[in-house]
Amino acid sequence: MLSRANIRFPEDVAQSRKLIFDSDDKRFRAVLVKPADVPTYVEYGAADIGIAGRDVIMESRADLLQPLDLGFGYCKLVVAGSKETRAEARAYEQAGTSEPNVVAGFGPRSDSPTIRVATKYPRITLDYYNRRGIPVEIIALAGSIELAPLIGLADRIVDLVETGRTLKENGLEIVEVIAESSARLLVNRAGYQTKREEVLALLRTLEKVVQCESSI
Amino acid sequence: MKAYTQIPPGTQILIGRAAKRRRVLERAICSVFEGWSYEEIIPPIFDYYDVFIKGMGTGPEEQIYRFIDREGNILALRPEFTSLVAKTVATRLASAPRPIRLFYSGEVLRFEKPKGGRQREFAQIGIEHYGGAGKSSDLEILLIAVEVFQRLGVQAFQINLGSVDFFGGIVDRMELPAAQIGELKDVLNVKDQPGLEALLEKLPLGDRRKKILRAIPHWTGGRSVIEEARQLVRNPRSVEALDHLEHIYSVFERLDLAQHLTIDLGEIRGFDYYTGILFRAYVRNLGFEVAGGGRYDGLPSAFGEDLPAVGFSFSLDRLEQMVMPALSMPDVDAISIADNGFEQAVQLRRSGKAVKLCL
Repeated sequence: MLSRANIRFPEDVAQSRKLIFDSDDKRFRAVLVKPADVPTYVEYGAADIGIAGRDVIMESRADLLQPLDLGFGYCKLVVAGSKETRAEARAYEQAGTSEPNVVAGFGPRSDSPTIRVATKYPRITLDYYNRRGIPVEIIALAGSIELAPLIGLADRIVDLVETGRTLKENGLEIVEVIAESSARLLVNRAGYQTKREEVLALLRTLEKVVQCESSI
Repeated sequence: MKAYTQIPPGTQILIGRAAKRRRVLERAICSVFEGWSYEEIIPPIFDYYDVFIKGMGTGPEEQIYRFIDREGNILALRPEFTSLVAKTVATRLASAPRPIRLFYSGEVLRFEKPKGGRQREFAQIGIEHYGGAGKSSDLEILLIAVEVFQRLGVQAFQINLGSVDFFGGIVDRMELPAAQIGELKDVLNVKDQPGLEALLEKLPLGDRRKKILRAIPHWTGGRSVIEEARQLVRNPRSVEALDHLEHIYSVFERLDLAQHLTIDLGEIRGFDYYTGILFRAYVRNLGFEVAGGGRYDGLPSAFGEDLPAVGFSFSLDRLEQMVMPALSMPDVDAISIADNGFEQAVQLRRSGKAVKLCL
């Protein structure tokens, strides 16, 4: 995408162990960081601009501008559970969403008043269940989230789904979609003001590239 | 025991050169304020909790450190100065001649994530202008903010100026429920175009109004931004806001300062109390804002006195990361205490010299 915007980097970016790369024309310097760290780098102004998924931005709660959808990396952040998940848990969730008068903690699931949810997105998950008034116990995991409901660690998971194949192969189904996600361009608030010409020029170029690609 | 060795999260200790730098910056900024005839106010570090809630609104209440005194009153450590000064102006200074110009400098406390060189206890320095005629006091405080940067030798600073009235005039007429206005503000605040598009599909608005909302995130720049907005926005409240911003911009142009001013019609963040202009200031290569302020005419009336009010504050902790003033160290005479060292030291001190005893 960047090369289509005429920002070219040396060929070996993917293979190299270096983390910092100058563009061929020396106008840009790119750093490679873990996706979850991108909002932090941009919020602190260590990088003026970043590219990260909307899911990552939501979870980070970083104070940033996010002016552009880059049109790739589409996926959904969903609540999912196994088909065999205790029917009580499902009934309880439905009671919580459709009938706000049901007092939290007195739902039909008698053995435990809380739903256990495994996720890489503890903040989004907590917000989601808090808004519905459903007591929740969040189990923060670093990966292989699908495993948790299969071996009884959790009733539900909140995770990113692209095609849904992984869920299906593990016998899980989507309960609800929390948010749609795709790659976003992030801009530091101070950089947007103090380097406005450069930032806006790059924004406009990328906007054009996105438009071209989506019209193909 | 950890209390004896560790410091609580969110606190910091300035020692030696760091402390000196804090005081040098503080003094330089105070002298700018005094140069514009502002008088210092030293308010208490705690007051009734309700004072701050009245001032800041109900968003940031969870950030306030509160405690209960022996009579059962709920008190709070000050999370900002503006509410405290407004209360003082409305009570103690109710009969003082207007306008009232005050400056303050001191620590405030907020329970928030330490970020960008700002701990939970951090230093604010700023001014409050009450009872100024018309909106000319807006210009006065903006020019003072500019002089602060210049006095500190900061060249690459940018003041980002918006108006609550511009956005207010637009949404007034849309008659949307408060929740949807909130959503609208949320997407505009982060210039989230795809989010805005998704929201506009849900809102029962005509094409012209949607066109205006789509344009708002782009209306950031120089004088041309105001012209563009005038083409689309016609309601009196917004137009008056545009006239005012244009007036400010013209004065900055005449003073050859326009390169430091960005008109940003999408700038609508901040405490609930803002009623007119609002601005944030940035310094190149620092990721966080270093100053912010605006107009809050409704605030003094919350304390019983109806007065126009405008002001700003700088974050000293953040300025300290960018500004390295020359710290002059006095020449020191080192004196051994052997023989008549103490007498010698006192003599030198009496003649105004700095001494260092070698014990």
